[in-house]
Amino acid sequence: MSITLKELLSSSTERLSLELVWGEERLDRTIEENALNRPGLALTGFFQYFAQRRLQVFGLAEFTYLKSLNSEERELRLRGIFEKNVPAVVVSRNRNPLPELRVLAEEYGTPLLRTAMITSHFINECTLVIEELTAPRDRVQGTMLEIMGIGVLLQGQAGIGKSETALSLIGRGYSLVADDVTEMVRTGGRVMAFAHEMTRYHMEIRGVGIVHVPSLFGVSAIRRDAMLDMVINLHPYVNDADEDRTGLQQTEIEILGVKIPYFALPVSSGRDMANIVEAAALNYKLKLLGHDAAKELDDKLIANFLRKAVK
Amino acid sequence: MADEKTILHELKVLNKYGIHARPAALLVKTAGRFSCDIFIGQKGEEVSAKSIMGLLTIEGHQGAKLSVRIVGADAEEALAELIGLFENKFFEE
Repeated sequence: MSITLKELLSSSTERLSLELVWGEERLDRTIEENALNRPGLALTGFFQYFAQRRLQVFGLAEFTYLKSLNSEERELRLRGIFEKNVPAVVVSRNRNPLPELRVLAEEYGTPLLRTAMITSHFINECTLVIEELTAPRDRVQGTMLEIMGIGVLLQGQAGIGKSETALSLIGRGYSLVADDVTEMVRTGGRVMAFAHEMTRYHMEIRGVGIVHVPSLFGVSAIRRDAMLDMVINLHPYVNDADEDRTGLQQTEIEILGVKIPYFALPVSSGRDMANIVEAAALNYKLKLLGHDAAKELDDKLIANFLRKAVK
Repeated sequence: MADEKTILHELKVLNKYGIHARPAALLVKTAGRFSCDIFIGQKGEEVSAKSIMGLLTIEGHQGAKLSVRIVGADAEEALAELIGLFENKFFEE
Protein backbone atom coordinates (compact mmCIF):
# COMPACT_ATOMS: atom_id res chain seq x y z
CA MET A 1 0.00 0.00 0.00
CA SER A 2 1.26 3.46 -0.78
CA ILE A 3 0.18 6.96 0.22
CA THR A 4 0.00 10.31 -1.51
CA LEU A 5 1.84 13.41 -0.38
CA LYS A 6 -1.51 14.94 0.44
CA GLU A 7 -2.27 12.11 2.89
CA LEU A 8 1.14 12.52 4.49
CA LEU A 9 0.74 16.28 4.86
CA SER A 10 -2.86 16.27 6.05
CA SER A 11 -2.14 13.74 8.78
CA SER A 12 1.26 14.86 10.00
CA THR A 13 2.16 18.43 9.04
CA GLU A 14 2.57 19.35 12.70
CA ARG A 15 4.16 16.13 13.86
CA LEU A 16 6.82 16.41 11.17
CA SER A 17 7.05 20.25 11.26
CA LEU A 18 6.45 20.22 7.53
CA GLU A 19 5.92 23.19 5.26
CA LEU A 20 5.17 23.09 1.56
CA VAL A 21 7.60 25.33 -0.35
CA TRP A 22 6.28 24.54 -3.81
CA GLY A 23 3.88 22.12 -5.44
CA GLU A 24 0.35 22.63 -4.09
CA GLU A 25 -1.03 21.30 -7.38
CA ARG A 26 1.17 18.22 -7.39
CA LEU A 27 0.31 16.71 -4.00
CA ASP A 28 -1.56 13.81 -5.58
CA ARG A 29 1.80 12.15 -6.28
CA THR A 30 2.30 8.90 -4.42
CA ILE A 31 5.28 7.82 -2.38
CA GLU A 32 5.62 4.46 -4.05
CA GLU A 33 8.15 2.99 -1.70
CA ASN A 34 7.42 3.41 2.00
CA ALA A 35 10.77 4.77 3.04
CA LEU A 36 13.06 7.77 2.80
CA ASN A 37 16.34 8.25 1.01
CA ARG A 38 19.29 10.60 1.43
CA PRO A 39 20.52 11.17 -2.11
CA GLY A 40 24.19 11.76 -1.22
CA LEU A 41 25.63 9.16 -3.58
CA ALA A 42 23.29 10.15 -6.40
CA LEU A 43 24.54 13.74 -6.09
CA THR A 44 28.03 12.52 -6.88
CA GLY A 45 26.63 11.04 -10.07
CA PHE A 46 26.32 7.43 -8.92
CA PHE A 47 22.81 6.30 -9.87
CA GLN A 48 23.01 2.53 -9.54
CA TYR A 49 20.55 1.42 -6.85
CA PHE A 50 19.17 4.96 -6.58
CA ALA A 51 15.96 4.69 -4.52
CA GLN A 52 13.97 6.97 -6.79
CA ARG A 53 10.56 5.82 -5.55
CA ARG A 54 11.24 7.17 -2.07
CA LEU A 55 10.96 10.61 -0.53
CA GLN A 56 14.36 12.34 -0.96
CA VAL A 57 15.75 14.12 2.09
CA PHE A 58 18.42 16.81 1.78
CA GLY A 59 20.29 17.31 5.05
CA LEU A 60 23.41 19.06 6.18
CA ALA A 61 25.74 16.65 4.36
CA GLU A 62 23.95 17.07 1.01
CA PHE A 63 23.91 20.84 1.38
CA THR A 64 27.58 21.08 2.30
CA TYR A 65 28.48 18.89 -0.66
CA LEU A 66 26.34 20.92 -3.07
CA LYS A 67 27.91 24.15 -1.84
CA SER A 68 31.35 22.79 -2.62
CA LEU A 69 30.38 22.67 -6.30
CA ASN A 70 30.20 25.58 -8.73
CA SER A 71 26.71 26.58 -9.71
CA GLU A 72 26.79 24.92 -13.14
CA GLU A 73 27.90 21.61 -11.73
CA ARG A 74 25.39 21.94 -8.88
CA GLU A 75 22.48 22.36 -11.29
CA LEU A 76 23.64 19.40 -13.36
CA ARG A 77 23.85 17.06 -10.36
CA LEU A 78 20.49 18.14 -8.99
CA ARG A 79 18.88 17.76 -12.40
CA GLY A 80 20.04 14.15 -12.37
CA ILE A 81 17.86 13.54 -9.34
CA PHE A 82 14.79 15.41 -10.57
CA GLU A 83 15.03 13.57 -13.90
CA LYS A 84 14.36 10.34 -12.01
CA ASN A 85 10.89 11.65 -11.21
CA VAL A 86 11.25 11.30 -7.42
CA PRO A 87 7.94 11.74 -5.48
CA ALA A 88 9.12 14.84 -3.56
CA VAL A 89 12.15 16.52 -2.10
CA VAL A 90 12.37 17.47 1.59
CA VAL A 91 14.88 19.94 2.96
CA SER A 92 15.63 19.50 6.67
CA ARG A 93 16.74 21.90 9.44
CA ASN A 94 14.49 24.62 8.01
CA ARG A 95 17.17 25.62 5.53
CA ASN A 96 16.32 27.86 2.64
CA PRO A 97 16.19 25.60 -0.38
CA LEU A 98 18.93 26.49 -2.85
CA PRO A 99 17.60 28.52 -5.79
CA GLU A 100 18.46 25.61 -8.11
CA LEU A 101 16.26 23.27 -6.08
CA ARG A 102 13.31 25.59 -6.39
CA VAL A 103 13.76 26.10 -10.11
CA LEU A 104 14.15 22.39 -10.83
CA ALA A 105 11.18 21.48 -8.63
CA GLU A 106 8.95 23.74 -10.73
CA GLU A 107 10.49 22.56 -13.98
CA TYR A 108 9.88 18.88 -13.19
CA GLY A 109 6.68 19.37 -11.22
CA THR A 110 8.21 17.81 -8.11
CA PRO A 111 6.82 19.08 -4.79
CA LEU A 112 9.41 20.72 -2.55
CA LEU A 113 8.97 20.56 1.22
CA ARG A 114 10.81 21.87 4.22
CA THR A 115 10.95 20.60 7.79
CA ALA A 116 12.24 22.27 10.93
CA MET A 117 13.50 18.94 12.25
CA ILE A 118 17.09 17.77 11.96
CA THR A 119 17.57 15.09 9.34
CA SER A 120 17.92 11.98 11.50
CA HIS A 121 14.88 12.86 13.63
CA PHE A 122 12.85 13.61 10.55
CA ILE A 123 13.79 10.32 8.93
CA ASN A 124 12.86 8.34 12.06
CA GLU A 125 9.59 10.14 12.61
CA CYS A 126 8.55 10.22 8.98
CA THR A 127 9.26 6.48 8.62
CA LEU A 128 6.94 5.87 11.57
CA VAL A 129 4.25 8.11 10.08
CA ILE A 130 4.42 6.36 6.72
CA GLU A 131 4.30 2.97 8.44
CA GLU A 132 1.22 3.99 10.43
CA LEU A 133 -0.52 5.39 7.36
CA THR A 134 0.15 2.26 5.30
CA ALA A 135 -0.37 -0.35 8.04
CA PRO A 136 -2.95 -3.08 7.28
CA ARG A 137 -6.33 -2.16 8.69
CA ASP A 138 -9.65 -3.85 9.19
CA ARG A 139 -12.98 -3.22 10.81
CA VAL A 140 -14.38 -6.11 12.82
CA GLN A 141 -17.69 -6.76 14.51
CA GLY A 142 -17.15 -6.88 18.26
CA THR A 143 -16.88 -4.87 21.46
CA MET A 144 -13.38 -4.00 22.62
CA LEU A 145 -12.47 -3.72 26.29
CA GLU A 146 -9.39 -3.39 28.37
CA ILE A 147 -9.35 -5.59 31.47
CA MET A 148 -6.38 -5.14 33.80
CA GLY A 149 -4.05 -4.40 30.91
CA ILE A 150 -5.43 -7.20 28.73
CA GLY A 151 -7.11 -6.11 25.50
CA VAL A 152 -10.24 -8.23 24.94
CA LEU A 153 -12.45 -8.29 21.85
CA LEU A 154 -15.93 -9.62 22.66
CA GLN A 155 -17.66 -11.22 19.71
CA GLY A 156 -20.90 -13.09 19.22
CA GLN A 157 -24.15 -12.92 17.30
CA ALA A 158 -26.46 -9.94 17.66
CA GLY A 159 -28.46 -10.04 20.88
CA ILE A 160 -26.16 -12.47 22.70
CA GLY A 161 -25.26 -9.73 25.18
CA LYS A 162 -21.92 -8.24 24.17
CA SER A 163 -22.81 -4.69 25.13
CA GLU A 164 -24.53 -5.80 28.35
CA THR A 165 -21.46 -7.82 29.34
CA ALA A 166 -19.27 -4.82 28.50
CA LEU A 167 -21.50 -2.60 30.62
CA SER A 168 -21.08 -4.90 33.63
CA LEU A 169 -17.32 -4.93 33.14
CA ILE A 170 -17.24 -1.13 32.93
CA GLY A 171 -19.18 -1.12 36.19
CA ARG A 172 -16.37 -3.17 37.71
CA GLY A 173 -13.83 -0.54 36.75
CA TYR A 174 -12.56 -1.81 33.40
CA SER A 175 -12.46 0.33 30.28
CA LEU A 176 -14.37 0.46 27.03
CA VAL A 177 -12.43 0.98 23.83
CA ALA A 178 -15.17 0.43 21.23
CA ASP A 179 -18.74 -0.84 21.22
CA ASP A 180 -19.87 -3.32 18.59
CA VAL A 181 -17.59 -2.12 15.77
CA THR A 182 -13.86 -2.07 16.36
CA GLU A 183 -11.17 -0.72 14.06
CA MET A 184 -7.96 -2.72 13.93
CA VAL A 185 -4.55 -1.72 12.69
CA ARG A 186 -1.40 -3.81 12.66
CA THR A 187 1.58 -2.12 14.25
CA GLY A 188 4.76 -4.10 14.47
CA GLY A 189 3.75 -7.67 15.14
CA ARG A 190 0.65 -6.73 17.14
CA VAL A 191 -2.86 -5.49 16.52
CA MET A 192 -4.08 -2.22 17.96
CA ALA A 193 -7.80 -1.72 18.43
CA PHE A 194 -9.73 1.54 18.61
CA ALA A 195 -13.16 2.96 17.92
CA HIS A 196 -14.39 4.80 14.87
CA GLU A 197 -14.05 8.53 15.47
CA MET A 198 -17.78 9.19 15.18
CA THR A 199 -18.98 6.63 17.68
CA ARG A 200 -15.96 6.65 20.01
CA TYR A 201 -16.89 6.35 23.73
CA HIS A 202 -20.54 5.69 22.96
CA MET A 203 -22.37 2.44 23.35
CA GLU A 204 -25.84 1.15 22.70
CA ILE A 205 -27.76 -0.64 25.42
CA ARG A 206 -30.98 -2.30 24.34
CA GLY A 207 -33.94 -0.61 25.93
CA VAL A 208 -31.89 2.41 27.01
CA GLY A 209 -30.47 3.60 23.73
CA ILE A 210 -27.16 5.24 22.95
CA VAL A 211 -25.18 6.37 25.99
CA HIS A 212 -21.98 8.37 26.39
CA VAL A 213 -19.79 6.19 28.57
CA PRO A 214 -17.46 8.80 30.19
CA SER A 215 -20.43 11.00 31.10
CA LEU A 216 -22.05 8.10 32.95
CA PHE A 217 -19.02 6.35 34.42
CA GLY A 218 -16.17 8.87 34.32
CA VAL A 219 -13.06 9.07 32.19
CA SER A 220 -11.48 6.00 33.76
CA ALA A 221 -14.21 3.96 32.03
CA ILE A 222 -12.76 4.60 28.60
CA ARG A 223 -9.56 4.16 26.66
CA ARG A 224 -8.76 5.56 23.25
CA ASP A 225 -7.06 2.37 22.10
CA ALA A 226 -5.68 -0.93 23.37
CA MET A 227 -3.52 -3.73 22.05
CA LEU A 228 -5.57 -6.81 21.20
CA ASP A 229 -4.52 -9.75 23.39
CA MET A 230 -7.47 -12.13 23.15
CA VAL A 231 -10.77 -12.70 21.37
CA ILE A 232 -13.73 -14.04 23.35
CA ASN A 233 -16.66 -15.37 21.40
CA LEU A 234 -19.97 -15.60 23.26
CA HIS A 235 -22.15 -18.32 21.78
CA PRO A 236 -25.46 -19.92 22.76
CA TYR A 237 -24.96 -22.93 25.01
CA VAL A 238 -25.23 -26.26 23.22
CA ASN A 239 -24.83 -29.49 25.12
CA ASP A 240 -22.07 -31.24 23.28
CA ALA A 241 -20.26 -28.27 21.84
CA ASP A 242 -16.69 -29.17 21.08
CA GLU A 243 -15.44 -26.99 23.87
CA ASP A 244 -12.25 -27.25 25.85
CA ARG A 245 -13.07 -28.23 29.41
CA THR A 246 -9.54 -28.10 30.74
CA GLY A 247 -7.97 -24.94 29.34
CA LEU A 248 -5.04 -27.03 28.12
CA GLN A 249 -5.71 -26.34 24.46
CA GLN A 250 -5.19 -22.89 23.04
CA THR A 251 -7.15 -22.02 19.93
CA GLU A 252 -6.10 -19.03 17.84
CA ILE A 253 -7.66 -16.92 15.13
CA GLU A 254 -5.94 -14.61 12.71
CA ILE A 255 -6.63 -10.91 12.61
CA LEU A 256 -4.63 -8.91 10.05
CA GLY A 257 -2.27 -11.87 9.79
CA VAL A 258 -1.52 -11.89 13.53
CA LYS A 259 -2.46 -14.98 15.57
CA ILE A 260 -4.67 -14.04 18.52
CA PRO A 261 -5.71 -16.44 21.33
CA TYR A 262 -9.39 -17.29 20.96
CA PHE A 263 -11.84 -18.42 23.64
CA ALA A 264 -15.40 -19.62 23.03
CA LEU A 265 -17.64 -19.01 26.04
CA PRO A 266 -21.08 -20.61 26.11
CA VAL A 267 -23.88 -18.35 27.28
CA SER A 268 -26.81 -19.79 29.18
CA SER A 269 -29.26 -18.36 31.65
CA GLY A 270 -27.80 -17.86 35.06
CA ARG A 271 -24.24 -17.48 33.82
CA ASP A 272 -22.89 -14.05 34.69
CA MET A 273 -20.90 -13.43 31.53
CA ALA A 274 -19.07 -10.37 32.87
CA ASN A 275 -17.71 -12.50 35.67
CA ILE A 276 -16.61 -15.21 33.27
CA VAL A 277 -15.03 -12.83 30.78
CA GLU A 278 -13.15 -11.21 33.65
CA ALA A 279 -11.92 -14.61 34.87
CA ALA A 280 -10.84 -15.58 31.34
CA ALA A 281 -8.89 -12.33 30.93
CA LEU A 282 -7.21 -12.60 34.32
CA ASN A 283 -6.37 -16.27 33.77
CA TYR A 284 -4.82 -15.37 30.44
CA LYS A 285 -2.79 -12.63 32.14
CA LEU A 286 -1.58 -15.21 34.64
CA LYS A 287 -0.54 -17.43 31.74
CA LEU A 288 1.44 -14.57 30.23
CA LEU A 289 3.22 -14.24 33.56
CA GLY A 290 4.28 -17.87 33.21
CA HIS A 291 1.70 -19.45 35.51
CA ASP A 292 -0.49 -21.90 33.58
CA ALA A 293 -2.84 -23.29 36.21
CA ALA A 294 -4.39 -26.02 34.04
CA LYS A 295 -1.00 -27.28 32.91
CA GLU A 296 0.44 -27.24 36.41
CA LEU A 297 -2.47 -29.23 37.85
CA ASP A 298 -2.23 -31.70 34.98
CA ASP A 299 1.51 -32.17 35.53
CA LYS A 300 0.85 -32.80 39.21
CA LEU A 301 -1.83 -35.41 38.42
CA ILE A 302 0.37 -37.21 35.90
CA ALA A 303 3.34 -37.30 38.29
CA ASN A 304 1.10 -38.77 40.99
CA PHE A 305 -0.40 -41.38 38.65
CA LEU A 306 2.99 -42.42 37.28
CA ARG A 307 4.19 -43.05 40.82
CA LYS A 308 1.21 -45.26 41.57
CA ALA A 309 0.87 -46.98 38.20
CA VAL A 310 0.41 -50.76 38.26
CA LYS A 311 1.12 -52.38 34.90
CA MET B 1 -38.88 -44.69 38.79
CA ALA B 2 -39.87 -48.07 37.53
CA ASP B 3 -38.28 -47.84 34.08
CA GLU B 4 -34.93 -46.58 35.40
CA LYS B 5 -32.26 -49.13 34.77
CA THR B 6 -29.19 -49.38 36.96
CA ILE B 7 -26.04 -50.96 35.64
CA LEU B 8 -22.99 -51.76 37.75
CA HIS B 9 -19.66 -52.44 36.11
CA GLU B 10 -15.92 -52.34 36.76
CA LEU B 11 -13.40 -50.58 34.51
CA LYS B 12 -9.64 -50.79 34.61
CA VAL B 13 -7.41 -47.82 33.72
CA LEU B 14 -5.01 -48.96 31.00
CA ASN B 15 -3.26 -45.80 29.81
CA LYS B 16 0.15 -44.95 31.21
CA TYR B 17 -0.64 -41.46 32.51
CA GLY B 18 -3.97 -42.37 34.10
CA ILE B 19 -7.08 -40.19 34.12
CA HIS B 20 -5.40 -36.79 34.10
CA ALA B 21 -6.99 -33.64 32.71
CA ARG B 22 -7.29 -34.63 29.05
CA PRO B 23 -8.87 -38.08 29.59
CA ALA B 24 -11.09 -36.59 32.29
CA ALA B 25 -12.33 -33.96 29.84
CA LEU B 26 -13.00 -36.69 27.28
CA LEU B 27 -14.97 -38.67 29.86
CA VAL B 28 -17.04 -35.62 30.78
CA LYS B 29 -17.76 -34.87 27.14
CA THR B 30 -18.80 -38.45 26.47
CA ALA B 31 -20.92 -38.72 29.62
CA GLY B 32 -22.57 -35.40 28.77
CA ARG B 33 -24.05 -36.86 25.60
CA PHE B 34 -26.29 -39.23 27.61
CA SER B 35 -29.28 -38.39 29.73
CA CYS B 36 -28.50 -41.11 32.29
CA ASP B 37 -26.58 -40.37 35.48
CA ILE B 38 -23.10 -41.83 35.50
CA PHE B 39 -21.02 -42.28 38.64
CA ILE B 40 -17.45 -43.41 38.83
CA GLY B 41 -16.22 -44.67 42.15
CA GLN B 42 -13.29 -45.97 44.09
CA LYS B 43 -13.11 -47.39 47.60
CA GLY B 44 -16.79 -46.73 48.24
CA GLU B 45 -16.70 -43.07 47.15
CA GLU B 46 -18.10 -41.97 43.86
CA VAL B 47 -18.26 -38.84 41.73
CA SER B 48 -20.33 -37.82 38.74
CA ALA B 49 -18.69 -38.62 35.42
CA LYS B 50 -20.11 -35.33 34.17
CA SER B 51 -17.90 -33.33 36.57
CA ILE B 52 -14.33 -32.74 35.52
CA MET B 53 -13.27 -31.52 38.96
CA GLY B 54 -14.87 -34.61 40.47
CA LEU B 55 -13.05 -36.99 38.15
CA LEU B 56 -9.71 -35.39 38.99
CA THR B 57 -10.14 -36.39 42.65
CA ILE B 58 -10.23 -40.07 41.65
CA GLU B 59 -6.98 -41.99 41.89
CA GLY B 60 -7.20 -43.02 38.26
CA HIS B 61 -3.65 -44.24 37.75
CA GLN B 62 -2.70 -47.05 35.40
CA GLY B 63 -3.97 -50.35 36.77
CA ALA B 64 -6.61 -48.75 39.04
CA LYS B 65 -9.96 -50.51 39.10
CA LEU B 66 -12.94 -48.16 39.11
CA SER B 67 -16.56 -48.99 39.75
CA VAL B 68 -19.17 -47.56 37.43
CA ARG B 69 -22.81 -47.05 38.29
CA ILE B 70 -25.14 -45.89 35.57
CA VAL B 71 -28.78 -45.02 36.14
CA GLY B 72 -31.16 -44.16 33.34
CA ALA B 73 -32.83 -45.20 30.15
CA ASP B 74 -29.73 -45.01 27.93
CA ALA B 75 -27.45 -46.73 30.48
CA GLU B 76 -26.37 -49.54 28.19
CA GLU B 77 -25.30 -47.27 25.35
CA ALA B 78 -23.40 -45.09 27.80
CA LEU B 79 -21.57 -48.06 29.29
CA ALA B 80 -20.54 -49.28 25.84
CA GLU B 81 -19.04 -45.87 25.10
CA LEU B 82 -17.18 -45.75 28.42
CA ILE B 83 -15.76 -49.24 27.90
CA GLY B 84 -14.56 -48.08 24.50
CA LEU B 85 -12.76 -45.10 26.01
CA PHE B 86 -11.01 -47.14 28.68
CA GLU B 87 -10.03 -49.92 26.28
CA ASN B 88 -8.68 -47.47 23.75
CA LYS B 89 -6.58 -45.87 26.52
CA PHE B 90 -8.42 -42.59 25.93
CA PHE B 91 -6.69 -42.46 22.54
CA GLU B 92 -3.46 -41.46 24.24
CA GLU B 93 -1.16 -44.28 23.23
